[in-house]
Amino acid sequence: MTAVREAIALPLLFLTVTLLGGLRIADRAALAPPPLFALVLSVLLLGLLVRCGAFAPLRLLHRSRPLLANVNGLIVVGALFLASAQAFNVATPESGLPRALFNLVFLVLLANTIAAAPDRLRMLRSLLVIFGSAFVVKFIVLAALSQPAETPATRALRILFEGITLGSVTQDVLHPATGYVAFFTLILYLFGLVLLPAADQTVSGGHDGRHRHSQPRALPARDLVDP
Amino acid sequence: MRNREGTVRAAGAGLAIGYAVFIGWLYIRQPQSVAEVRGGLSASFGTYRVDPQAFEEGLVFFRRDEFPAARAALERADPAQQDPRTQFYIAYSYYRQGWGRLYQDDALFAQGLETLTRAMARAPRGRIVVDDENLGMRSADELKAELEAGLRRDASDFNPLRIFRQRK
Repeated sequence: MTAVREAIALPLLFLTVTLLGGLRIADRAALAPPPLFALVLSVLLLGLLVRCGAFAPLRLLHRSRPLLANVNGLIVVGALFLASAQAFNVATPESGLPRALFNLVFLVLLANTIAAAPDRLRMLRSLLVIFGSAFVVKFIVLAALSQPAETPATRALRILFEGITLGSVTQDVLHPATGYVAFFTLILYLFGLVLLPAADQTVSGGHDGRHRHSQPRALPARDLVDP
Repeated sequence: MRNREGTVRAAGAGLAIGYAVFIGWLYIRQPQSVAEVRGGLSASFGTYRVDPQAFEEGLVFFRRDEFPAARAALERADPAQQDPRTQFYIAYSYYRQGWGRLYQDDALFAQGLETLTRAMARAPRGRIVVDDENLGMRSADELKAELEAGLRRDASDFNPLRIFRQRK
């Protein structure tokens, strides 16, 4: 991994996700910090990334690396943690039953993926599906259910729906720009995950690549010498 | 080559730390416009200044009881909402416009209270005192108490002697 990617590209990319992940535009713009549960999910996701070889922290933080390189590595890890928390924050509904359900589903999916220990590519595909599905449900399905009704018939249906669900499903109406920012944020986050320094994939058996183990790749020579 | 890499790493670390601090600042201050971001950053470095001409125009409108015009001028003078004195006058204009002998305009009082609370948060130790003999209340504490009392519902609201009170 080049110094530019490690010292500039990855930190700025993940910090931008951290910034935009909290942006909520309604009648006022607000920046929502990550809730406590998003921090828990972020820790789990970091563990998953390491376990599946999508992220090799030893390539960023190691005693054989120069101090400045380790500082860069530490910044990447910190920014990745915050960006992951904000990625969950942006993909989770703001209130009510959907929020609780999303948090539960995220937890189960992450735990399941950790247990399955897929390889890097499958894990990244899995994350794309998780965040993509959450985005569609939050910004398309729930947003449509929460829009103000325009005709008497839709208003009656809305009242009926809110009565059945005790008002626990509908969300505060956000400006459409929030959805576009969220989409860009999640794409940026997933792109950042692809750019992370990965562990080498070594095949230990079978011909179909099902028995892969992730091993941290040897540190490149330029990372071992003082700048 | 190694020097160049060291420079890139040092610059990257500085850039990332600066960006992270800026993001933290944005989350704490929650600015609503680019002008507020610019003004807030200027205030952090002690270089923020209100527009004195717009401020004077605002005061002239304020003393003529032309409150919406006064607010427009004062907001132009302090677009980043960083100057406690200007924000005090804006809050005061909401109070005077919303004040009535028989009833208060709750919406205007609430806006005044919001503006004053924000101004107090930005003032040193939350203290704002304005030396202006045309004002009945010269400190933010007095104005805040008056706005809060106006928004409160209690038995004194039905006291007929209220019609004799004076606007401050």
